[in-house]
Amino acid sequence: MSKTVKIAGAQGFYGDSPMAAMNIVMENAANYLVHDALAELTLSILQKDKLRNPEEGYAKDIEVLAKVLYPAAFANGMRVVTNSGGLNPESAAERVKAILSKAGVIGIKIATITGDDVLNRLGELQEAGEELLNMDTNLAYSNSKYPPTHANVYIGAQKVKDALDQGANLILAGRVADPCLTLGILAHEFGWQLEGNLSQEQLNLLASGIAIGHLLECGGQASGGNSYAEWPMDYKVSNLGYPIAEVSADGSAIFTKLASQGGKMSRNTLREQLVYEIHDPSHYITPDVIVDLTSVEIKELAPNTVLFKGAKGKPRPEKLKLTIGQMEGYITEQFFFFSWPHAYVKSQKFIEAVKEIWSNLPVSIDRMQFDLVGINGIHGSAALEVPKEYLDNLNEIGIRVAIKHKDERTGKMAIAAITCLGLNGPPGVISIPGWGKMNRAMLSLWPTLVPRELIHEELKMHEI
Amino acid sequence: MSRIKLIDIASARSGDKNDVCNIGVMANDLTAYSLLKQHLTADKVKQHFGDMIKGEVVRYEWDTIESLNFVCHGALDGGASRSLRMDMLGKNFSSHLLRLEFEV
Repeated sequence: MSKTVKIAGAQGFYGDSPMAAMNIVMENAANYLVHDALAELTLSILQKDKLRNPEEGYAKDIEVLAKVLYPAAFANGMRVVTNSGGLNPESAAERVKAILSKAGVIGIKIATITGDDVLNRLGELQEAGEELLNMDTNLAYSNSKYPPTHANVYIGAQKVKDALDQGANLILAGRVADPCLTLGILAHEFGWQLEGNLSQEQLNLLASGIAIGHLLECGGQASGGNSYAEWPMDYKVSNLGYPIAEVSADGSAIFTKLASQGGKMSRNTLREQLVYEIHDPSHYITPDVIVDLTSVEIKELAPNTVLFKGAKGKPRPEKLKLTIGQMEGYITEQFFFFSWPHAYVKSQKFIEAVKEIWSNLPVSIDRMQFDLVGINGIHGSAALEVPKEYLDNLNEIGIRVAIKHKDERTGKMAIAAITCLGLNGPPGVISIPGWGKMNRAMLSLWPTLVPRELIHEELKMHEI
Repeated sequence: MSRIKLIDIASARSGDKNDVCNIGVMANDLTAYSLLKQHLTADKVKQHFGDMIKGEVVRYEWDTIESLNFVCHGALDGGASRSLRMDMLGKNFSSHLLRLEFEV
């Protein structure tokens, strides 16, 4: 039988449960664990940590994983690839080393991948003639009104491959694009060439690697989590088994999940993860290859066993995507509830009073929003109209108020100013300060492109 | 003429990229897919969301998985981290679209 490699989608986001990965390790069901920790906004969260403490700025999941998961995974010969290094892969490696050393783990190589973080290079890039045009508005970055919080380039799979070629047991990368973590593993295992002049056949292999990585990168979302396709969920989700791809050298893969765990692996669950966060399916742009997903085949071979193949590749883009986070202001929100009788009318009178109080404040609120939880909280103005007799007889209703403002003082003042409505407002209001969030940072993203030759990726190896 | 409820013939998943929300609509079978291709236009989707989508809606056909992908620009109140909405990530754009009905 020809060689295959088993890769598990072990983490879907910063803060995901480690239990699914633990089970995969205990059953020794994969050769590699891929932990994706970086959603679009995660880097802004990590930047806040790093500003507080220069030794932080990585996804702290790794501290737990280094205690409970990595030693057992390494003992099985499994290798772990993650972008949890975030804004500080070197500190992440030091932290993991300390935890592993304390547990007596030795003979382990930890690789870091950096060079994606260009926050301190934004001036230099502009001086070199890069206008950093906003991909949405076409404005040059010099027009930005807000201070940057982070600036990271989506980088590709090459250094992941290199690190594995050099024997890394654990890779802690910065902003390696999610699916490129998986592509790097496959390029290492099957000797796929990532750079240079590539044939159509080679491009198709890279495209397959990206597609498989895309299916793995959200963990349980590919195996029955968050699923309308398998509604009404004839399986357990409390112990959802995460997706495992057994990949062949031709780029085809068989997707499964642990039989001992919940969830489901089906053509439907893979279809719905395939469409997730894709724009033009014939032109999915990644640092290593542009992928045409319209030719893929998904075929259920047996229960919880699904074949995936057929992605096609086009040469990689000339430029890499750079996302600059910007501090725009703050958001403050709070919840209030009313009961029968007159729940709806009371909510309207309450909102009216809040608006009047806020319009008289000596500070300015840039924008406000009022949602009726249970009526239009999720779908806003698109929510279907509710019959009057239903509104007149509601058991209860929730109100969410949210405001955007420039400074923290405004957030505090706005909430303090309406607290009096607990005694002064319509009868029976229920609210607890802890339900709301005061002064949550409001960040906007400045998406742009940079020539790849200006980005210097660096691989470092640490050994214990 | 008969009236079709989208939820009876398809499922959907939505997600965010900055201020763009994409809604993948997966037909239950080939017959459903041909109905979707014929009747579930980008205009109909945009209309169904009204003011919630400020920009253009682009539809992509995805024959091998019997799916349509709707890319909705200006759909997330400026993007997840700027949005004042409860559903800041547009996770429930899928839910709202499934409520759509159309005549065939």
